[in-house]
Amino acid sequence: MLEVRLFATLRENREKIYFFDAQLFNTVYDVYEYLGIQEDEVSTLLINGFHSKPETQIHDGDILALFPPVGGG
Amino acid sequence: MRYTRQIALAEIGEKGQEKLQKAKVLVIGAGGLGCPCITYLTEAGIGYLEILDMDTVSITNLNRQFLYNDHDIDSYKAHVAERKLRLMNTEIIIHGHAKKITEENIEETIQDFDIIVDCIDNIQTRKIIYNACLKLNIPLVEAGIEGFYGFVTTIKKGFPCLNCMGYFDSKDKKEIPVLGAVAGIIGSLQALECIKVLLNIEGVLFGKILEYDAKKQEIEIINIPEKNECMMHKE
Repeated sequence: MLEVRLFATLRENREKIYFFDAQLFNTVYDVYEYLGIQEDEVSTLLINGFHSKPETQIHDGDILALFPPVGGG
Repeated sequence: MRYTRQIALAEIGEKGQEKLQKAKVLVIGAGGLGCPCITYLTEAGIGYLEILDMDTVSITNLNRQFLYNDHDIDSYKAHVAERKLRLMNTEIIIHGHAKKITEENIEETIQDFDIIVDCIDNIQTRKIIYNACLKLNIPLVEAGIEGFYGFVTTIKKGFPCLNCMGYFDSKDKKEIPVLGAVAGIIGSLQALECIKVLLNIEGVLFGKILEYDAKKQEIEIINIPEKNECMMHKE
């Protein structure tokens, strides 16, 4: 199982949380592609609470958290 | 008494109110976040409140920036805000300056304040303020909004920071959509963080980020994981 948690504007037209079969994805890039997220939309990618890069391999049990930059005032 | 209802709080009391009266707070930005923030700081009795904003009021500000109205269009926000806030609280000192923050003037601008509140609307100027606050070891309340979403965090040397989150690697967007009520909530949370830092009330968002989702009416507080290569916040 792979858990993907989206924050702020990444939730627009998407759910805030997804549960997937982890075997469907090789790397985080595949998750981005599946959810229609551009790499530059994400300022922070955490896997299991640690900073990670989108080329990181997905493993069963991983929890991804994706944050966009929110800069308005 | 003006402050009776907040002095009644055990966390504030007479001593806390005196601390607020002696505090020097700088709020940078008097827009969507700034209007609620400076309003509540004024009413809470911050003794010396300075407001910086180089922009003038435009018609597109009036869906959310409630200190201004049609008659204020083309006037400097900092000057209008100062005038209106002085009417709200005659017992404190308030100054508004139409001043642009640059890398050259930031340190002299912030050095005499107890805390800085960043209410501006672009990531690049935030980075200038951020670097200077960490360098001078002045706490900084930071926030951002877009659409139905907002975040708040409070920065202090030694705690994981927004740079750890990769925030400053991001590019600014143009014409960010903003709903007034969301700006009101997040700006109010900034004022609250500021007061909590000044009074040393527990639960400040040091090393944490509060994410607000107005569509789902949810608040989540996330511990910011430290990035080893981030040298910004380290002692």
